[in-house]
Amino acid sequence: MFDFLISSVTVAGIYALMALGLNLQAGYSGLLNFGHIAFAGIGAYATGIAIQSGWGGFSGAAIGVCVAMALGWCIARLGRNLASDYWGIATLAIAEILRTAATNEVWLTGGAQGISAIPSLFDGLGRPWNAMAFLALVLLAVLVFALACRRVGNGRFGRALRLMREEPQLAACMGYDLRSLKSRAIMSGAALTALAGSLYAHYMSFVGPDYMLASETFWLWTMLMIGGLGNTAGVLVGVVVVQGAYALVPFAKDYFGFSSDISGALRLGLIGFILLASLMWRSQGLVPEKVRKIA
Amino acid sequence: MTFKMHSFYAATALLGTLSVTPVVQAQETVNMGAVLSLTGANATVGEDVRRAVMLAVDKVNADGGVLGKKFGVIVEDSGGNPTTALNAARKLASVDKVPVVIGEYSSGITLPMAQYLVKEGVGHINVASTSTKVRELGASSFNLIGLENLGNQFSAADTWALGYRKVAMIAPNNAYGQGVAHGFKQEFEKLGGKVVTELLYTAGQSTYRRELQQVSRSAPDAYIYTAYGQESAVLNREAYELGLRKSPWYAILLSMSLSDTPANIANGQLGMEVGNVYGDAGKAYQAAFNAKYKEGTKTSYTGYAYDAVLMTAAAMNKAKSTDTDKVQAALKDLGKGGYVGVTGPIVFDAERQRIDPPYAKLKYDGKVVPR
Amino acid sequence: MLQFLVDTLLRASDLALIALGLSMVYGLVKFPNIAHVQYAMFGAYVTYAMHASGVPLVLAIAISCAVTGALTLGLHLLVFRRLLRAGPAIAMIGSLAVAMLVVAFMQGFAGSFPRMFNLPLTEPILIGEARVTATQLYFVGTTVVLLLLFAMLLFFTRTGRAMRALASNPALAAASGLNAEGITRGVAFASGAIAGLGGSMLALSTGAHINLGYDLLLPVFAAAILGGLGNPLGAVAGALLIAATETAVTNIDFGGLVGGDPLFMPVAYISAASFLILLLALLFKPYGLFDREVRRV
Repeated sequence: MFDFLISSVTVAGIYALMALGLNLQAGYSGLLNFGHIAFAGIGAYATGIAIQSGWGGFSGAAIGVCVAMALGWCIARLGRNLASDYWGIATLAIAEILRTAATNEVWLTGGAQGISAIPSLFDGLGRPWNAMAFLALVLLAVLVFALACRRVGNGRFGRALRLMREEPQLAACMGYDLRSLKSRAIMSGAALTALAGSLYAHYMSFVGPDYMLASETFWLWTMLMIGGLGNTAGVLVGVVVVQGAYALVPFAKDYFGFSSDISGALRLGLIGFILLASLMWRSQGLVPEKVRKIA
Repeated sequence: MTFKMHSFYAATALLGTLSVTPVVQAQETVNMGAVLSLTGANATVGEDVRRAVMLAVDKVNADGGVLGKKFGVIVEDSGGNPTTALNAARKLASVDKVPVVIGEYSSGITLPMAQYLVKEGVGHINVASTSTKVRELGASSFNLIGLENLGNQFSAADTWALGYRKVAMIAPNNAYGQGVAHGFKQEFEKLGGKVVTELLYTAGQSTYRRELQQVSRSAPDAYIYTAYGQESAVLNREAYELGLRKSPWYAILLSMSLSDTPANIANGQLGMEVGNVYGDAGKAYQAAFNAKYKEGTKTSYTGYAYDAVLMTAAAMNKAKSTDTDKVQAALKDLGKGGYVGVTGPIVFDAERQRIDPPYAKLKYDGKVVPR
Repeated sequence: MLQFLVDTLLRASDLALIALGLSMVYGLVKFPNIAHVQYAMFGAYVTYAMHASGVPLVLAIAISCAVTGALTLGLHLLVFRRLLRAGPAIAMIGSLAVAMLVVAFMQGFAGSFPRMFNLPLTEPILIGEARVTATQLYFVGTTVVLLLLFAMLLFFTRTGRAMRALASNPALAAASGLNAEGITRGVAFASGAIAGLGGSMLALSTGAHINLGYDLLLPVFAAAILGGLGNPLGAVAGALLIAATETAVTNIDFGGLVGGDPLFMPVAYISAASFLILLLALLFKPYGLFDREVRRV
């Protein structure tokens, strides 16, 4: 049980990092990025490819972050004229193209079989300390980046992003370069998410193209919407609620004696229900964003 | 701030209750675990295997259960992705504390999941994944099914013997299909044949006409294909409509590729299969399956899952224990010789891989029959 | 050449009706409904259920359309109208939740195995060098007829004019006496019915399966966006363009360029190709190819 809890919290922590990255784009800046998982996939694959080529985990993570930021820059440029709905679908299209490439370019990514035997970071420590060390690393990362995001969000950059989200024309009038703001928001979100992707690859000892399915981005969006878009604490709450519900379903199935063929339906239905319920009755999320009112 | 603390406490309480949830079943039933893809792209395979597992549970309980108690298999959904599968395996190993877990299907899921189980020392039985990396999983992993290298050798030899020299290869664009396509090409070219086109189709399309058009341009002697789910029905029908059936069609894993295709289209296809029905036990298994589920098996893997469950129950009885080390030792013992499942005699080599896994040459004539 | 046209038309008609419904509703509610493709899946299952219990096929499809339309209308009234008050982004995520629920419900109800229709096998008809079956001809024919009817409705009737007015300026349309709420309800019902029809006809060839909606999500959205969201006939053109790209990409022989052996693009890149076309189109025409709206700078 202890083992299970440690791993659930570790995975939740990694998703929290990805969600924080999405929050920078979707929460603060109001950018509907539906291809966000591509950044995580890039981080994971960079780690996998680097390790396969013998360069080591750190360079893999670094390369992943750089490539993700480059992609983020391109996506931001793409959005020059696009309305938000269109831009969202464009990002989804880009993520799908990357996933198709990952599935097919066997020479680079191992194709659909992926890259396996990626060393987990603390294997030398022996059980259970390796799992706990990894958990400690992930929690530390979550703490550091959550505080950083909050700092950024409450600071000048964050306020500028919010202004761009609410009143873009006013922001332009006040001299903010909207394009640069957008690029910076997306690139920082991309970097954080790529780092999370690298951690994920190490944790699972495996990378595959299924990491970049569109449904994974929808998953992150679910966490954000339930917890509260635009609020760091909200993001963390959302992650806990969704991951908790997800992990709880098999136990509920055992407890209530449901047949296993509907367990898949139960899981999907539960998350969908929680999301819909929170949207209908608390549409800003469990922890709404605090927008300062001009009294 | 207060609401945030409320939710934080709520979440902690949630996780806290999980740690004290009693696993009541452990006292009254003896369990093993299974991780199958009940949802996701390969749900057809997962659901079919689940049916076989449930049938096996019925059989074990009808034969008196395990260690005098009722026997059960806790089936968890892998969701078709490695994260959920790993989570499921973790639950089975560390919470339900089962001695053996069987699963999965896609090697992208089986490999990371089994690696975890081996690290934990929990027994793992592979029933459907054919990647050659399964050999190298580790000390507590057992394998019942023929891996790709053997399967592809068999198919290549069979197709060569049938007289085909220039073939087109059609397979799904996933771990299974890529492995089969690559492996078959290697084996077939070793014999001197040539794979003129390789088509890795993407599952979920509404039509495959343009893919089939592309393949037909190379005018192969025969089409070697493998497919499952509803796509195989679409592929077969459209191949028929486009006139491609004038050339022979050879299916790797015949009954899986034809499971949803109507008989009038399926007639005349040749193929091979992992041995699924051996002798009287096999026939009885098929009859029981038909009786319980009102339809036949849809994939080739069900027999292996059935055997895995029965063999584990036998091992538990033999070891007189549900301790994973003892059960694994008993499995090795059973695999020394003399154990016959519905897929045939099961003998393990030193690396717990099945020696001489069965394959069959088949054709479709109203239904799947041997050649 | 004829085979190319036939293949393109068949693929386009798989997508056209569903993309049409999506775009049509977008014009009025101004958010892309992710659950729309799941209505098609739902319709497919209802048709299967009716047909399997003995109802003649055409009647089964008709009933399925009505039921799907009712479901769409119900969801619109109970869920989406409320979510729209919080903004289109919330409504879009809400539609994601609804999509999850529809899939979960059908999965629990119908199970994971695909449900194939037991239709009599028809020999393909030879038109020139192209082969097509009677069922497919009916399919394309029904789609074309429906599109024509819809186009006539949109451009030559009062209701159509009201729909167009409402799509371009809701406040003014309501102020000038149009029954905005009533028209929106009608459109919601109609889009659901059309999605159900598209899904049912698709399922005749692919079988009703749980992933039917999800597999269509990206191509349908790409088609709708290509044509410009809110422009229903543009969505149909988008579907044609996507189908043409997919068919062309897989059948163009690049061997001539590199000399000798036939060389084709791997079919795994079919969807990537259509997405690339989508991205290129959006680069030049950010509101879709058929955008004629005047926007203030």
